[in-house]
Amino acid sequence: MNTENIEEKVIEFIASKVDDVDVSTINATSEFEELGLDSMDRVQLLFDAEETFGVTFEDDEVKDFHCVKDIIDYISNHQSSAPS
Amino acid sequence: MRLTTNRSLKYIRFWLSYVFIYPGFVTFLDSFLKSNMRIVVSGLGIVSPIGSGIDQFWSAAINGKNGIRSIQCFDSSNNRSRIAGEIADFDPKSFLKNKQIEQTDRFTQLALHAANQAMEDAGSLDCYEPRRLAVSLGSGMGGFATFEASAERRLQNKAIPPFTVPRTMANSAAAWIATQYGLKGVNLTCSTACSSGGNAIGMGLDLLRTGKADVVLTGGAEACVLPLTIAGFEALHALSTGFNDDPEHASRPFAAGRDGFVMGEGAGILVLEREEAAKRRGAKIYAQLAGYGCACDAAHIVAPDMDGQVAAMETAIRDAGIKPETVDYINAHATSTPLGDIVETNAIKQVFGAHAQNIAISATKSMIGHTIGASAAIGSIAAIMSLQTGIIHPTVNLDEADPECDLNYTPNQALKKSANVALCNAFGFGGNNVSLIFATV
Repeated sequence: MNTENIEEKVIEFIASKVDDVDVSTINATSEFEELGLDSMDRVQLLFDAEETFGVTFEDDEVKDFHCVKDIIDYISNHQSSAPS
Repeated sequence: MRLTTNRSLKYIRFWLSYVFIYPGFVTFLDSFLKSNMRIVVSGLGIVSPIGSGIDQFWSAAINGKNGIRSIQCFDSSNNRSRIAGEIADFDPKSFLKNKQIEQTDRFTQLALHAANQAMEDAGSLDCYEPRRLAVSLGSGMGGFATFEASAERRLQNKAIPPFTVPRTMANSAAAWIATQYGLKGVNLTCSTACSSGGNAIGMGLDLLRTGKADVVLTGGAEACVLPLTIAGFEALHALSTGFNDDPEHASRPFAAGRDGFVMGEGAGILVLEREEAAKRRGAKIYAQLAGYGCACDAAHIVAPDMDGQVAAMETAIRDAGIKPETVDYINAHATSTPLGDIVETNAIKQVFGAHAQNIAISATKSMIGHTIGASAAIGSIAAIMSLQTGIIHPTVNLDEADPECDLNYTPNQALKKSANVALCNAFGFGGNNVSLIFATV
């Protein structure tokens, strides 16, 4: 899975997890806060992302995640373990 | 010496007056206060295997619709009991957002769906202070589906969902109802196994009588058609296992050949408030919740005991300030276990004597199975609808009664009967017995 594919799939994944957001406006730079995701929502989001993309997020590395791109980059850098 | 004797006499007189006069005064005061503070039901909501919404449920119930099927939500081929009363078409997406669905167990979703209906039915509660709006809910198992799923993952050394605990905790449903509607008053959850919903409704009555709330959303919710709960009740030989190929005939309270209960799921919610306030805001009033009795067998952790059931019914009748012979209808606990239905029959005979033969009795579980912590709330709704419509729903699968069950159980066909007083029974593991009395207003 190339980076563009990952970006598309992550955005599609996030669109299925948020409420009261125009999903067509979600892009890599979208901040979690503007997507209405509080700190507990982000923990749930990353748990679901692990299941969906077959990666394991390390606590130390995700604590500063604040936008969609952080997830895309993380999956891209660990894509050997991600499903194609 | 004389002085001492006189003093002694005074003391004796004082204590005699305390023993003989004070209790009488308390009883008088109690009935005076109750007669001036009637608690009424002003909203109803239900999700059940035979229908969601009061109209759909009641129409199905009086027509004897059967909600028992082969288990669909998991592969039950390794279970001895492979049937249940499931809510097949339940779709939480129709009323919850994505994040809410992820943060809630199925039992909470069922409770919320019933609460939405009840709140709409009750109409605006804006005239009340949010801190005076309470929730009192019952659930026997709470979020057990979440618990099972997370335990399975943990045993496989996988990460578990972050909302495992808040989805599992028994008070999750009550908390979510409060959050959805801004109900900032007392928020209680009662877990007394199969009588949970009955205790919750009784606690709601107490909150209103003691002035601790102005409105109480109350009832029960349960969603435990699950591999572990089915296996657990199987291990106790409590479930029906002989009707796997004929599910609709499995739940057969009071009938010959019954072999255990059938698991069900659902939720029932009632809105309670004081009659005067309900009338003032123009609410629709379904019935009065007139009495609540609760008693523990203190005998055995799972086997039923007649004395406890008698005590619960007698206490409820006394609490309602009525005479036993005024009871027209009993929504029986009647789970379809060989022992339980006989014990309840004998308890009813003990409480009502010759009048027991005049009472119409029916078992909602014959159509939907045993919804555990929701069963008393659903039974109460059936009792209230009987008062409202003058129709008693039938006990289905009652072609041939057990010779030891010889009362009028409304077999197979609904009965037209004008009823003014209805009693609902709920008995749970732990020897907990609850009776509720509803009356026309």
